[in-house]
Amino acid sequence: MSYRELVKRIPHAMYERLSEKLMDVLLEAKGGGDVPSSLAKTILYYWQRDQLASEAGLVNLLQAVEIADPEGATAVLDEFGLEEVKLALRPAER
Amino acid sequence: MRSFGIEFVPMELYWRTTYYSIQAERLGYDNIWITDHFNNRNVYVSLAVIANYTDRIKLGPGVTNPYLVHPVMTAQSVASLNEVAPGRVVCGIGAGDRTTLDMVGVEMKAPLRTVREAVEVIRRQLAREKGGYEGRVFRTAAGARFNFKVQNPIPIYVGAQGPKMLRLAGAIGDGALINASHPDDIREAVRHIRRGVERAGRRVEDVDIAAYTSFSVAESEKKARKPVIPVVAYIVAGSPPSILEKHGVSTEVADQIRSDLANRRWGEAFGAVDSDMIDAFAVCGTPEQCTEKIDALFKTGITQFVTGSPLGPNVRGAIDLFGREVLPHFKES
Repeated sequence: MSYRELVKRIPHAMYERLSEKLMDVLLEAKGGGDVPSSLAKTILYYWQRDQLASEAGLVNLLQAVEIADPEGATAVLDEFGLEEVKLALRPAER
Repeated sequence: MRSFGIEFVPMELYWRTTYYSIQAERLGYDNIWITDHFNNRNVYVSLAVIANYTDRIKLGPGVTNPYLVHPVMTAQSVASLNEVAPGRVVCGIGAGDRTTLDMVGVEMKAPLRTVREAVEVIRRQLAREKGGYEGRVFRTAAGARFNFKVQNPIPIYVGAQGPKMLRLAGAIGDGALINASHPDDIREAVRHIRRGVERAGRRVEDVDIAAYTSFSVAESEKKARKPVIPVVAYIVAGSPPSILEKHGVSTEVADQIRSDLANRRWGEAFGAVDSDMIDAFAVCGTPEQCTEKIDALFKTGITQFVTGSPLGPNVRGAIDLFGREVLPHFKES
């Protein structure tokens, strides 16, 4: 399942808080250097326009956090009660 | 005029520094200063990316030095950056950090003359002057100039700590970056800068005097003080006896901290930093405490306050807290 499809399963009301939380994880992640430069620049593009809490912003954030700190991504999805999204992200954990 | 700058050390990945820069611009900061050390990421690459993602904020090296980077190259770098961020570029230059220069076998000879001549060379290059420059430290041949025009003025700030360099900053700088945090040190520094301004027959209003501080803000004082401890340990280790004595720090304690840092005994070095040292060498606390301290610093005659590293226990949180709870106090008054 694509990240866009995953994000579509997240209620809109959560977008703002979720993007904040994912960004916090991304900024502190030890694996930040593994995030491809093109993805990092896309995130900056959305941040510059204050659109990280949009669907497209979240798609890129979720993807980056999954690369930089997979455990952090899981913890955030757990915190928001997004079990379905978590399982879709990691089918092996079903 | 009261303005606010923020310092970033490009130890971080470029996109994190850029993220924080966008955040700082949005919250109302006026200047971004990026440090220049060979062991971190390149200052101009960092600045070019930040320039691409910001629109209003001024930005520049804070500070580069003429020992590792020849002034014609500094001039070229800031002039090129000015094409990416027209009219937003500033250039901070100082003598550099002796410890870092030692690491690469570069001797810090004649710092006053070297900085003075470097500023002259940079200005001449930016103005595309045809004649050569014949200094004691730097020389350029006639015709050694850019193949492109520089459209906007690029203010040059001189980074300084000692009295002579502070006076030089006042005499030749469009701005001065005072490397200190305590009001007494900054008050004295401002006096030296003004003396330099007067001796050069300039007007003090024409020089932007910035306090370039070690800064940390957090919701609680305890949380704010913790991140500055390593920074203060390095400041104590690198401070001359006169500064230590002024703040009641014994040279024996400073020597011990220096030795512990050199031998990577972090626990001992950081454990020796006490509360008085933090108050002497950093501006930190809750937003209310920081507001009070910054207010006192503006009363010494500075015109720009720079929040230098570490900024806080969490950089994003600290920038947000500062932008929401400290900056409005000054921007709205």
